[in-house]
Amino acid sequence: MSDDDVQLRLEAALERHTGRAAKVYGVQRLTGGANRTTMAFEASGAGDGDTRRGYILQIGAQVLDPIEALPQASPAEQARLMMAAAQTGAPAPTVVAILDSADGLGEGYITERVGGETLGPRILREDRFAAARRAMARQCGEILAAIHRVDPAAAPFLKRQDAAEHVAAHRSVVDSYDFKLPALELALRWSAEHAPRGHRLAVLHGDFRTGNLIVGEEGIRCVLDWELGQIGDPMQDLGWLCIRTWRFGGAGPVGGFGAREDLFAAYEKASGHAVDPAHVRFWEAFGNVKWAVDCLLLGTRGVEEVGIERSAIGRRIEEPLWDFFNLIEGREA
Amino acid sequence: MPQSMPRAPILLTAAVKYLEEELLPTLSGYHRFQTRVTANVLNIVRRELELRASQAAAERERLCALVGHDGEVEQLSDELCGMIRGGAIELDDARLRAHLRQSLADALAINNPKWPSG
Repeated sequence: MSDDDVQLRLEAALERHTGRAAKVYGVQRLTGGANRTTMAFEASGAGDGDTRRGYILQIGAQVLDPIEALPQASPAEQARLMMAAAQTGAPAPTVVAILDSADGLGEGYITERVGGETLGPRILREDRFAAARRAMARQCGEILAAIHRVDPAAAPFLKRQDAAEHVAAHRSVVDSYDFKLPALELALRWSAEHAPRGHRLAVLHGDFRTGNLIVGEEGIRCVLDWELGQIGDPMQDLGWLCIRTWRFGGAGPVGGFGAREDLFAAYEKASGHAVDPAHVRFWEAFGNVKWAVDCLLLGTRGVEEVGIERSAIGRRIEEPLWDFFNLIEGREA
Repeated sequence: MPQSMPRAPILLTAAVKYLEEELLPTLSGYHRFQTRVTANVLNIVRRELELRASQAAAERERLCALVGHDGEVEQLSDELCGMIRGGAIELDDARLRAHLRQSLADALAINNPKWPSG
């Protein structure tokens, strides 16, 4: 599809979904994630009057050989989840249209564009984000509390796994690749034995971390990448945010910018649910196991075709496993 | 490895030196990023050629002690996986933990030497 085609199809799609004639300008392909295409464009008419505003088109490429055991929301499901999360006060992108086959653009959605920085190393190092960094652990607690308030009935399509089931799903993925690494075996057995029981279930973001947040000088503006949305143990989202991989070398265990105490206190205040640090610590430990399994998948699946960047991630599998042992053996990670 | 000179690690060092010192400064955006990743991958291969043989010899000795018989590294390692999974060895077994820690440290010395102290 040429950029001119995209422009015409976007205009038609905006008119179909918003009921107003729109003019589209400046379609631009942005660097997207591994499984999707992201384009930015401007349009007038779709929003209020003739003001030109920025939008994002997200198209999910067909996932080859999807991993059924693990949570994975389709683009339309992601959009519905973002709409539900916006209702409970989470800064999710504002969905303008959920595309269907009549739009001829592929499976995806259009959201309003939010300005700001997403790159972890910049957010964590540049002086202009110093005030944002001081506010972000508290904001993360408040935002996660808002996401976890989403009524599961508003997102019935999400995969539902309690902690033990989530661990077992990762065990089954490793088995399906017939991959054997003793450190990973120990980590999976430890995780199965230590998975929290009897926890509450909530709607989770599933990939809430530095790199998936749009940040301005005042703090977090928007939460991106909802494709791992799921129903599970809400403490999973808190632990995942703390693993060292997502700190990008920044100071502070929460996302490279903050302190666990600030995250937990803000979450407790906003959600009314007490946070047990040992419970979050399980999810930090298992978060490392999850990232190790991701490295295995990225370094194994279709590795001859995916290019050097994804192949190289396969060689990162020992990083989270090293941190996992530090965590369970009581060393700081 | 053939006996001809220069040895593979020296060739890789020269390739990385070209990428980092001559090519990278001329690039921006996508190709700058990809070239950085490429140099990183070549460094991984170089360190593997330099370090892996001696690591594997020590790993085999540790595995023989844990599994209780002789064999090749890969086969012994698979057997240890089965012992861990099947409960034939305790998760807090000190020799097991020391072995796993050393094996991870060895792999990181090849794949990302900065990680353990980072």
